[in-house]
Amino acid sequence: MRKYIVLLSIVLTTSVLAYITTYLEAIGLVGLDTRYLAKLFLTLAYNPLARELTVLSPEAVTSIVWDFRGIDTFYETVVFYMAIIAALAIYRGVGYPSIRSEKGLSIIVKVVTKLLIPINIAIAVSVAAHGHLTPGGGFQAGAALAVISVLLAVVFSASSFARVGVSLSKAIALRTVGLLAIAAVVFVPVVFNALTGVQAYLMQNYVKVDSEFAFPTHIQSQLISGTLIWFNLAEFLAVSFGFFVVFMLLSLREDVVREQLGEEHGH
Amino acid sequence: MRKYIPIAVLVFTVYIVFSGSISPYDIAIGIALAIGTSLVVTKYVVQDSKKALSLRRFIHLIAYAFYYLTIAEFKAHLMVTRIILSKSMPVKPAIVRVPYRAKNEYTIVACANSITNTPGTVVVDIDTEKSQYYVHWIYAVGLEPEVTYENILKDFEKRLLKVFE
Repeated sequence: MRKYIVLLSIVLTTSVLAYITTYLEAIGLVGLDTRYLAKLFLTLAYNPLARELTVLSPEAVTSIVWDFRGIDTFYETVVFYMAIIAALAIYRGVGYPSIRSEKGLSIIVKVVTKLLIPINIAIAVSVAAHGHLTPGGGFQAGAALAVISVLLAVVFSASSFARVGVSLSKAIALRTVGLLAIAAVVFVPVVFNALTGVQAYLMQNYVKVDSEFAFPTHIQSQLISGTLIWFNLAEFLAVSFGFFVVFMLLSLREDVVREQLGEEHGH
Repeated sequence: MRKYIPIAVLVFTVYIVFSGSISPYDIAIGIALAIGTSLVVTKYVVQDSKKALSLRRFIHLIAYAFYYLTIAEFKAHLMVTRIILSKSMPVKPAIVRVPYRAKNEYTIVACANSITNTPGTVVVDIDTEKSQYYVHWIYAVGLEPEVTYENILKDFEKRLLKVFE
């Protein structure tokens, strides 16, 4: 009996989902032109023929993220930046205690991790440097690089940060450099406009109908897709060290944090 | 200067293979990245750059990889396959002490991972002070250190000592 109930419910669920997705056109009927916007993005992402509309990046996602909806991404980065400021405010005045025992995991995990860290760096930089060509980009690369902070804290010990020369203040400085670099790229067209009088727009990447301003799209024959490569590299810096800050704070022991925060956060 | 070469080569190779491109753009970034990463990371990873650059050791490593991936893995799989296919399921599981002679941490770790990656044996813990692994063994022939060393570790360690020690 139970077998039939299971079978019936599978058939019923499948039929309902099939009905919703096809006859109700919830995700569009095959053959109908209901995915106009997606088509538009895909045709315009890299299209030298549509000179005033293209982003000149074969990676449609990065084109959308840093050009079609670039300002949205800029504010997302700012939100991320603010969230970390909030974390720093909660942990205000808390520093890493200098002397702590370092146990960590077994020698097997430690040795393998030591070898993985340079490999991790190589892969993260590759993901960032190809963000305008292949899937990935600054945020993804930053998340990949930030894994190192977790590895250091878990495999070795939170006190290993100091031993390898990573400190909260350095991480905060590097992520600030990243965000300032993004802001700099955003304002380049405006400065260009002020200096030369040529029409240019905030965050502009490539030529528009009424503006001939364009970031360099190639270095020799290598496509760098104007602003996209700079945004990706700056975002890589901002995100990786933003995560570093958070993971470093989270790896502090509760008793250490309470001790340093004092009574107000006590109980 | 020479001591930075091993990590630089590793990082450059990983960057190029992962990127899947040998354009001038990637070669330039790869070289810059390799130099930068090696300057930062080398002192934590490379203990003896002469060893890392030794051709003799590299050949021993290739020979070990070949031995491990073919002969050692085949023997271990055959043993476990026999156990799985036999009707009486002849297992004799035990966690045994396996003493090791290696001093270098890379040898110790390579041996431990070789044991774990062959079916039938898993390193569950390690005691670096007493120089012994604790290994879960699916068919423990004996519990004496000589027996466990002979059966589980000897073939790996004698080859890996030539690579790392």
